[in-house]
Amino acid sequence: MFSSPNRVIVVLGALTLTLAWVLDFGVIQPNRIVAGTGYGLGEALGLVASVTFSVGMVMILGLGAVASRFRYSLLTAGLLLLLLVLPWGLALFAERQLPGSSTYARTAMGAGFWCLLFLPALMLGECLQRLRAGRGLALILLALVLTSWTLAVTSGDIDSLSILKEYAARPDQFRAALSDHLALALSAVAISLVLAFVLALMMVRRVSWRRPVFGVVSFLQTVPSLALFGLLIAPLSALSATFPLLQQLGIQGIGWAPALLALIAYSLLPMVRNTFVALTDVPPTLLEAGEGMGMNARQLFFRVKLPLAMPVILEGIRVTIIQAIGLTAVAALIGAGGFGTFIFQGLGQAAMDLVLLGALPTVLLALVADAVLSALASTMRSAP
Amino acid sequence: MIELKGVSRRFGEVLAVNAISLVVETGEVCVLVGSSGCGKSTTLRMINRLLPSTAGEILVDGKNVCDTDLQTLRLNMGYVIQGTGLFPHWTVARNIGLVPGLLKWPEARIRERVDELLQLLGLDQEGFVDKYPHQLSGGQAQRVGVARALAADPNILLMDEPFGALDAITRETLQNEMLRIKQQLGKTTVFVTHDIDEALRLADRIAVMDQGRLIQYDAPEAILRRPASLFVETLVGSQDRGLKMTGLQRVGDAMQRHLHPRPRDLDKPGVREHETLRQALSLMLWQGTESLPVMDEDGAEIGIISRAQIWAGGH
Ligand SMILES: Nc1ncnc2c1ncn2[C@@H]1O[C@H](COP(=O)(O)OP(=O)(O)O)[C@@H](O)[C@H]1O
Ligand SMILES: [Mg+2]
Repeated sequence: MFSSPNRVIVVLGALTLTLAWVLDFGVIQPNRIVAGTGYGLGEALGLVASVTFSVGMVMILGLGAVASRFRYSLLTAGLLLLLLVLPWGLALFAERQLPGSSTYARTAMGAGFWCLLFLPALMLGECLQRLRAGRGLALILLALVLTSWTLAVTSGDIDSLSILKEYAARPDQFRAALSDHLALALSAVAISLVLAFVLALMMVRRVSWRRPVFGVVSFLQTVPSLALFGLLIAPLSALSATFPLLQQLGIQGIGWAPALLALIAYSLLPMVRNTFVALTDVPPTLLEAGEGMGMNARQLFFRVKLPLAMPVILEGIRVTIIQAIGLTAVAALIGAGGFGTFIFQGLGQAAMDLVLLGALPTVLLALVADAVLSALASTMRSAP
Repeated sequence: MIELKGVSRRFGEVLAVNAISLVVETGEVCVLVGSSGCGKSTTLRMINRLLPSTAGEILVDGKNVCDTDLQTLRLNMGYVIQGTGLFPHWTVARNIGLVPGLLKWPEARIRERVDELLQLLGLDQEGFVDKYPHQLSGGQAQRVGVARALAADPNILLMDEPFGALDAITRETLQNEMLRIKQQLGKTTVFVTHDIDEALRLADRIAVMDQGRLIQYDAPEAILRRPASLFVETLVGSQDRGLKMTGLQRVGDAMQRHLHPRPRDLDKPGVREHETLRQALSLMLWQGTESLPVMDEDGAEIGIISRAQIWAGGH
């Protein structure tokens, strides 16, 4: 473990260093539409900061190459530091290069900045794996990085950032999008969890249910998402036209109702599959032992089957939530709200910053859901 | 007491158990032996009604098992299976406390009972109760399996090839453990194995099965001396059954006892009273002697065993 050089760290480190210098760190745009001018690392951050960064990166590279007892701990600390100061690099860039006179001028993150975000994050992942750290540590690190970003955003030092300017123009819409997005994705997952649980139980009990249920949920998964959203419009508008009560409940051909239905349909396959596999994978000898010792069906289910199935069911929930968060963005096309609204508006107006305002929070939500549920599953696995 | 009266079990076309009748007296160990697929497990599983029988009846202490409440029946029968069947998400303590828990014993009493059983099975090391099954060796796990079966002090013990997956040395240790527990607790036991030597060691009576039928039901010595058919003769090994016979007899029963214990001659190797004639014979062959001193636990010589006495015991 301590002996050979770690090629992943060395290669990614060298790549980070090169791309950070070759690509633009930041961009200054005179207004929302006009393409801006790019600034390399040196110009963007100044001599002191860019040299400090480079020296630090060389040290990280070196640590990856030599054998050292604590190298992965040191690397984790170094890479974390880099990710923590990154938003403040944007603040420094704005302070140095943003013309003070224009209120329309804005800063944007350049390709080099994105490299500085993603490549070190990958390296950090490698280090955590080598350290055999639990999901708990990953969760803490993610929280630290998010805190640093939150601090930078609330400090006002990076208000000039294009995506924040887009946000500043519509804070209420953003909040509404966030709550719509979460409500839609989470309720779809919750409903499909209940449905999938019932279906899986029936499939466990009746062999004849297995093929048809799997057939239907797999078929639903293969329908392209746009098509499914679209296909639901006609029957739902017909229904709501026929039954005024549905209309009063807000169920129409477009909006949250078809979106929710489609999201549930997509969530069923991963959820049913994992729940069914989890419940049937419990070794028969355990069930025989429990039954032979005098446990009744109820005790066997709640004390043996369900606890043993839990980690795999949680894994199903994790996959489903991530998928639902992503698909909810598409549901904006049929007027369901959520972050997708900004993405499609931005695409229509050729305003990439607005697209980013929709896409980044979606990715972030998925990342957080992933981290939280993985941590939960791994604690369940290690301390049954 | 367990009585099987013309018990059969059919799986579709296969008659897995064919009209078996036998009686296991209270406190006796009955070993079902036969090659794999001959219906041993099926027979055992009909006793605790994991499988219903298709014909005949099974009585436990005179009462038909089908007339007994299923839970009550099973809670009074310890069940040990191959590969332990320990719950992987429960600690040793919780696994052992399973049946007492189902019987709603108070917590303190369960804890006390768990400690008692760990002691009985030689598992009373610091921190052992908090381990999970995956942290145990095969032998330890199987001991915990036995402890779990004994937990609520059932009248009957059902064991389905409990030591089948263990290595030879661990298996022998656990067989000795079984013999000790048998002497200490005297449970009515039905034990399934395909290993005739294990059957000869542990059984009060052996039931030899072949293709669902009971071929012979007899004491181990009788099985060796008077095999009922060629099948049984082949099973016990017609070549070395003389040796197997010596394995059934204790030195203490065949030796010539001194009137008073004598101090032991330390140069001469000896055997102990509870060891088998087979062990004594082996030592004689190895040493090239005609006789051996017999010692008690303190090492004093209490008698002598000679070749002639072994010969006499073998007939
Ligand atoms: N649940 C079952 N369904 C169908 N056949 C079975 C079942 N259980 C056992 N059998 C058949 O019954 C016969 C006896 O099986 P078993 O009692 O397990 O044998 P043993 O324990 O002696 O190896 C075998 O032929 C086996 O295939
Ligand atoms: Mg069997």
